Order: sequence, then C-alpha cells, then structure tokens
Amino acid sequence: MAGSEAHGPRAVRVTPEDVRRLCEFLYRRTGMLFDDNKRYYIDRRLVERIGATKSESFQAYFAVLRSDADHEIEQLINAFTVNETYFNREEHQLRCMTSDLLGNVIRGKRPGESIRIWSIPCSTGEEPYSIAIWLMENWRLVDSYNIEIVGSDIDTRALKVAAEGIYGERALMRLSRDVIGRYFQPVADGEHQIDPGLRESIQFTRANLIDPSEMARYRGFDIVFCRNVLIYFDDSSRRIAAENLYDCLGAGGYICLGHSETMSRISPLFRVCRFSDAIVYQRPEADHDGR
Amino acid sequence: MTDVERAAAPSRRRILVVDDSALVRLYYRDTLQKAGFEVEQAINGIEAMEKVLAQPFDLAIVDVNMPRMDGFSFLRTLRRSAADVATLPALVITTEAGEQDLDAARAAGANFYLIKPVSQQDLLRHAAVLSGAPP
Repeated sequence: MAGSEAHGPRAVRVTPEDVRRLCEFLYRRTGMLFDDNKRYYIDRRLVERIGATKSESFQAYFAVLRSDADHEIEQLINAFTVNETYFNREEHQLRCMTSDLLGNVIRGKRPGESIRIWSIPCSTGEEPYSIAIWLMENWRLVDSYNIEIVGSDIDTRALKVAAEGIYGERALMRLSRDVIGRYFQPVADGEHQIDPGLRESIQFTRANLIDPSEMARYRGFDIVFCRNVLIYFDDSSRRIAAENLYDCLGAGGYICLGHSETMSRISPLFRVCRFSDAIVYQRPEADHDGR
Repeated sequence: MTDVERAAAPSRRRILVVDDSALVRLYYRDTLQKAGFEVEQAINGIEAMEKVLAQPFDLAIVDVNMPRMDGFSFLRTLRRSAADVATLPALVITTEAGEQDLDAARAAGANFYLIKPVSQQDLLRHAAVLSGAPP
C-alpha cells in the first residue's frame, strides 16, 4: 500500500506551510475546507500522493499538481473524498419522497412525463440505487412516469465503483434477503452485484458542486438528494453550492440534505417544508427574487 | 434458472417486456419473475421485433410511447409478419387513457389494453390469461 511505504524512513516530510498551500489549492478547486483539526487526515493523503507520483519533495509534487500531469488534480480530489455509505442509509427521506414529495411533483405533470431525481454526491452508488429500489418497492405509480435517476460525484474513482455496482455485506445490511435476492447477483468473495437492468437505469456523471459551468449541465430536477457534503464547505462555498443547486431544480423541486445540515443558514432562496418523515427544502413554484 | 429447473417447469411462459424506461422494464420483470414467468426485455419496437423473430414468446407486453419505433408501429409490423409470430398475444400498457387511444390499440393489433399505473395483481392476472399460463 502506498501509505505504508510513504510513512517509511524515506517518506517525504511536509511542513505546515506545505499543508496550508495544498489546502488553499483544494479549496479553490473544490470548495472543500480542511482546517487544522484535520491535519493528520491531510498529511497522510498528501504523503500518499507524493509517494504515488514519485515526487522528491512537496515542491516537486505541487508542480505536478498545478500542471495537472496525469490528471493529478483528480487523483488528489479522489484521495480526499470520503466514500463510506450503505443502502437505505436515510430511510426516512426515501419514505418522505414516496409519501409526500412525489405526490406534489406529479401535480404539475402528465402521466408518461419525466421525473428527474439527482443524487449528488452519490459516492459509490448506494444512494441512487437505493432510490431506484425504494421506488419499485414502494411507489404505486412507478410505471406511470419516466423516472430518470442521475448519480453524480466529484470523485471519478467512486463513480467507477458505482457503475460496476459490486458491494459487500456491510453496504447491504439494511436490505432484506428478499430484496437482495431480486436486485443483486452474487459474485466472488461473498459480494453482490447490482442487477444489470438496475445499473442501466441510473446515469452516473462527474459533477463539481461549486463549479457553475459544470453545474449548468444539470437542470430541471424534481428531487435532489445532497447529503453530508455541504458540511465540508466554508460559508462562501456553501452558498455558491446552494445557489448552484437551486438553479438545477425545476420550479417546485425539492432538496434533501443530511440530518445535521440545514439550508436556512446557508441561503434564503429555499422554502422549508416540514413533512412527517423529514424536513426538506423547496425551490418555490414562483421565484420571488426574479432569478 | 438452471437446466434442472427448466426441465422441471416445461410450461414456464416466456414474456417479452417492451418499454423504453429501464426502471419500468425492471419493475415488470421483477413482478413477472416472482410469479414464475421467464422475461426478456426490449427498449423499443425495433429491438422487440428482432427478439420476436429470433426467439419464441408466449406474450409481448408493450408500452406505446417509445423512441425509434413506438408500440403501435411494432404491433402493426408484428401482425404483418410470418404466421408463427404474427399471432403472438400482445398486452398494451400505456399512460394514454382516451377512447381513441383504446381504438388505436385495437386497430394496431393489441389483444388487451391496460392503463398505467398497473398493479402487480393486474399485471399478473392479464399476463397469465394472455400467455395461456396454466392456473
């Protein structure tokens, strides 16, 4: 493993100033803010990347990074993102989607029209697949609309895993044996692969929440699940991300955040909706600010 | 299904599900497979026609609005084909609920017509009757 080698006697040393420069670079690129209490986390990943690129010093590595040789920016971002999750992680939000949100969403639609659902960041795919399975198991109107589910993440390595759809027992712990039997196929080493038909039903794409030009490709979503990513951002990036998400929603569209997150302190654009299963945020039907 | 299981279930009916939505195909497939049907899928009329000409089926379940070749065009093409495939029973499932839509489905050669949302019970009941599955 690169990490253990990097921590060996020949490992390149990094100074607090190096770390500061790297964090500033990451912040400008991704909006993710790593402060001093995450120092150990940052050092380890930085040393790993220096080792992996065979750079002789931080300065040499930083030059590689800035020139983006061999897509090093992407590699570094991949190393800094956290990708541990499981199926049906926030079941109350899935329940809220089928018991409240979709009923409102279809009020403005004819049968057969598209319903667009976005999972961002989708990490290794557990959330968008959970959404699809939940809809098939719990929404009576699942065949009446053209449901499009998109999973996006900044981490291309996670997206590759998502598209392959192979998961261990831990990721499936919240699913019944019956559901696993119907939507997964056993593969080697006790792992399970998502049914090809289900994999086909989700579109996986790369997206950066704070990059307006990238986000401009995503429009007209009815429901967005954006959980546990805004906590990595500082105030200004958080507001940029929120405004980008607002523009990605269709009028009346909903956004679900992680349970420790709230939009109220980030942006005044959204309307707070309290449903029995979850609090979600809505882009108002009629925009009040002329956007 | 293993060869042993296939040999043990000689009357297992084969159904072709034709719908452009991957999620809808999966939902119908899962419902039908749970009840013991064997299911193939096609994403539009063109792919459905290719499959029907290449493999035997007992029923086609067909959506109407699909890109490239819609459900009605597929049924008209099917009904004009060689005798052994021209008579394949077809269940049309659509979101269009008007009187003229029903007439259009009949004219295209549908044996039966259901309006979405189709409950699992309704799907299985009509699939069993139309495919001639033993009760």
